[in-house]
Amino acid sequence: MSAQTPAEHELAELIVASLNLESTNAAAIAPEAPLFGGGLGLDSIDALELALAISKRYGFSLRSDNPDNKRIFSSLRELSAHVEKQRSTTCSGAR
Amino acid sequence: MKAHWSERREGGGRFALWLIRSIGLHLGRPAARALLYPITLYFYFRRGPERRASRAFLARAFARPARERDVLRHIHRYAGTILDRVFLLARGAHGFVIGVQGLEELETRIAHGRGAVLLGAHIGSFEALRVLAEIRPELRVRMLMDRGQTPALTELLHALNPAVADMVIDAGGDGTTAVLAIRDAAAQGALIGLLGDRARPGEPTQAARFFGEPAQFPVAPHLIAAALELPVVLAFGLYRGGNRYDVYFESFSTGAAIPRADRQARLAELLQRYAARLEYYTRLDPYNWFNFYAFWNV
Repeated sequence: MSAQTPAEHELAELIVASLNLESTNAAAIAPEAPLFGGGLGLDSIDALELALAISKRYGFSLRSDNPDNKRIFSSLRELSAHVEKQRSTTCSGAR
Repeated sequence: MKAHWSERREGGGRFALWLIRSIGLHLGRPAARALLYPITLYFYFRRGPERRASRAFLARAFARPARERDVLRHIHRYAGTILDRVFLLARGAHGFVIGVQGLEELETRIAHGRGAVLLGAHIGSFEALRVLAEIRPELRVRMLMDRGQTPALTELLHALNPAVADMVIDAGGDGTTAVLAIRDAAAQGALIGLLGDRARPGEPTQAARFFGEPAQFPVAPHLIAAALELPVVLAFGLYRGGNRYDVYFESFSTGAAIPRADRQARLAELLQRYAARLEYYTRLDPYNWFNFYAFWNV
């Protein structure tokens, strides 16, 4: 199991805070473990709340028509990579 | 009666649906309605579990044993509302008498243009709410539906009115995409149609008292509304026989967020209130109850 990057850690803390996962230590979320159904047991309502928290914090919207949504929400690592990519394009004004 | 409702295959098949539609649109509603009698008999004899579920429900609703003719009437009503979807989609409310109650409550809730949830159930015909397109054409309605549950019917209805396909948010795919689509539609001020009485397999439910006994209701519609802070308006369309429908809107909640710590208690309160109102509207005309499976027995 690999360690969290700083960006992944920040996102893990957002997940724990926004979904009120009191019994979960953000640092202990394995970056490649499944977010939904598996370890954390999140469902689609959690995904919605997480998407709202992400747009509030990072200032961009996760799109509903993105065919990669299933992959993007599959793990902390995938979600963080997507967030970082969107943040950089938003900041440079490419979108 | 053990099978989950979603495992029951669609009745009738493509050819029968096509035939009814063609007869309906070419010869008119009276001719098509005459066909409902053999269809009702076919359904009655071929679909044992549904027949038993109907009998059990009617006995519960009327507090007396249900007779054969009650069950036949129930199935006939159901078939009639499905036929009427053809007409409502092809021609709108034209030819129907649709009473509307509670429109002011709906208008008060959506006055700020931030969207709302229209929370219905599998009673009567949600399609009768199309009357809204005629009295308030500026309103946008998006409906969460599982296209895969009744593929032949969905295909037929979409062919009748291609604009309907754009109205539907598909619940059959991955849940995340569906909830994000709901968020986007609500952000544009749309009314989001959700049905609050049936959970899909594996979906979280909570019990509420309904017709005197606990039944399981899905929590997702209430949680989606709370997460998006959308007001909820109950919306039911009851079929009253002949060409008559009654559409009811009733304000249900203001769109407050639910703090996670209070979730269980708040959900219990919301579900109990929903179940009580659903029972009230179902009792207005129990033949509109279209959950033909063991609703209490999950």
